Amino acid sequence: MEGMISNIRSALAHPASRRLWLTIGSGAMILAGLIARYGFGQIEVWRVLMIAAALFAGWDIAIRAWRALRVKAFSIELLVTVAAVGALIIGEVWEAAAVTFLFIFGGWLEARTMGQTRGALKALLDAAPATATVLREGEPVEVPAHMVQLGESVLVKAGQRIPVDGEVTEGSAAVSEAAITGEPMPAEKAPGSHVHAGTIAENGLLRIRATGVGADTTLARIIHRVEEAQEEKAPAQRMIERFAQWYTPSIIGLAVVAFAVTQDIRLALTLLVVGCPGALVISTSVSIVAGIGRAARSGILIKGGQHLESAGRIDTLALDKTGTLTEGKPRLATVIALDGMGEDELLRLAATAEAGSDHPLGRPIVEAGRKQGPLPTPESLDERAGMGISARIEGRDVAAGNRRLMDKLGIALGTENEAGLGRLLKAGQTPILVAADGKLIGLLGMSDTAREGAKEAIVRLRDIGISRVVMLTGDQQGAAQAIAREVGIDEVHAGLMPEDKLDLIRKMKADGAHVAMVGDGINDAPALAAADTSIAMGAAGSDVAIETADIALLKDDLGKIPEAMAISRATLGNMRQNLVIALVTVAGLLGGVFTGHIHMAGGMLVHQLSVLIVIANGMRLLRVPNAAAVGGNDSRAVAARQAVAAARS
Amino acid sequence: MTQKTILRSDELSCPSCVPKIEKALGALPGVEKAEVKFNSGKIEVEHDPAQASVEALVEAIRGTGYEARPSAF
Repeated sequence: MEGMISNIRSALAHPASRRLWLTIGSGAMILAGLIARYGFGQIEVWRVLMIAAALFAGWDIAIRAWRALRVKAFSIELLVTVAAVGALIIGEVWEAAAVTFLFIFGGWLEARTMGQTRGALKALLDAAPATATVLREGEPVEVPAHMVQLGESVLVKAGQRIPVDGEVTEGSAAVSEAAITGEPMPAEKAPGSHVHAGTIAENGLLRIRATGVGADTTLARIIHRVEEAQEEKAPAQRMIERFAQWYTPSIIGLAVVAFAVTQDIRLALTLLVVGCPGALVISTSVSIVAGIGRAARSGILIKGGQHLESAGRIDTLALDKTGTLTEGKPRLATVIALDGMGEDELLRLAATAEAGSDHPLGRPIVEAGRKQGPLPTPESLDERAGMGISARIEGRDVAAGNRRLMDKLGIALGTENEAGLGRLLKAGQTPILVAADGKLIGLLGMSDTAREGAKEAIVRLRDIGISRVVMLTGDQQGAAQAIAREVGIDEVHAGLMPEDKLDLIRKMKADGAHVAMVGDGINDAPALAAADTSIAMGAAGSDVAIETADIALLKDDLGKIPEAMAISRATLGNMRQNLVIALVTVAGLLGGVFTGHIHMAGGMLVHQLSVLIVIANGMRLLRVPNAAAVGGNDSRAVAARQAVAAARS
Repeated sequence: MTQKTILRSDELSCPSCVPKIEKALGALPGVEKAEVKFNSGKIEVEHDPAQASVEALVEAIRGTGYEARPSAF
């Protein structure tokens, strides 16, 4: 018996279960009352049961109204309490019971469904494990995940979530990064690889040196950014909040005036019941929370309602080539040594010069040069943006770069080399010209491959109504055209300096286009800033991208761009639908009350239904289909899963 | 010594709860600042744990009709 009482006590102590029990209790009394009256003609029993139901549910509402009043907060509970007490006093016991029952029942349903709307983010929060196993003095110890010290060794077994950001020091495993990047295919991690908190080691055993814990992990930063984005108020929401501030007090005023004029207490009490513009105040919030949450689940960070709005209107997309449409990992495809120069010596000189630059095109040259042996240190270096690099190496003036650099240095090519250059360009390679002491000594051809899925992503972008897709690149025409043909882009602007990209974006905007720009590097920064929407790729590895872009894709997957656009559009549409539903409800309720068609119970019912409809409509956004299903993605994921299964057995 | 505690609730279903919860928390001795973020359901409280424990914060929010739990971030 005592156990039962304490069970009931603890059930009633928790607001959610208390609401449920109050709903069941008062609902049962109302049902019994209705049966007594209409089944057995027991009007007195009906009256007693209705009063009991109203008191049972109303008691909780009144307590909350009182608590709020005590800290000088005005609450909806107060309006409902006044209305219910008023109804009891004038003998409208059915209205009092129905209003309190519907208020409690609706509150319970709304709290549950709102929780689901926020559910996408909950999945991210739940991705962070609470505890970590660390090695302290050689012994594994379990500690709270945020108490791990930087540099400590963390052990992660097969099937466990990784609790910290870190670097693998021992072991290997297939790690599923789905929680962070939305990528279903696990990535192979070995010593030296970086791993993120919240990802899952599907097999194997990892020892990880912690480099980020608690709030200082990529996962925590993503959650933080998503929440900030959800809180950032869209213009429509601000307008509604101003309206709501004014709406409730004026409805109360209206109730007082209506009573003074008509002496109709029922009318006045009904007005109090419909005094909370519930559906209206949550209409835009629900859409934005669900839309941004849905995007986050796919590894797409949309930085707020305002960016949702502008992304939903995009009709023109500009893409950088290197690292965006391509893998950004160029290979050295052709080496032509000229003028009696040996290939080895050509590569050694070119690599020594390029070693002083961090341009992605230089990396494979440096690698090829290092294969010949250690590289000398240049006496001086001069990097020329958009052209290349010149250096003084072992007493020789070496230059490596594009045609523009050679022109600038006054180095002539000659007809034979022009032809060689032409062949490289025609093959879609990016040529790097190498000169020493004023004479051309070699031509290097670099080639980069288009990203997997790029073509499908461009097709999908056109399908969803992005009418103009443009490539903007600093690379040369031939290489740009080759990639453009491969991915299906017909408008190419090649050989651009960073400020040329900026000018082109400005021009498109001036022509009335809504432009999104996708890029990665620093040389895209001005163009990204000028675009209506800036999109950064591969943001999981770069906090700068997470901070600065309007939309950050956590994974290098072009397929996420059409998905982000589709989610933005769906969210915008959803917000508009919710606004219409809410405004029609408010107008309908007020109209119905004044024409005498709606009484207290009916008003509460319509009000609660409209709130639930708005939430349910917002929740549809969580089911916007995943665009990752284009092309060969599925078969890749299946193959990866098979590989993981094979590794397990 | 004040500290910042983050609580989360999934149950906030109408923004009218925002001032209610903020004022209920603000009325506790030892609470310097309380901010409720409706959209994400996050409640940020700056408080002196010696005067107002985390349990007391949860209890105060419960009194307004909502369940909340502390969160690491």
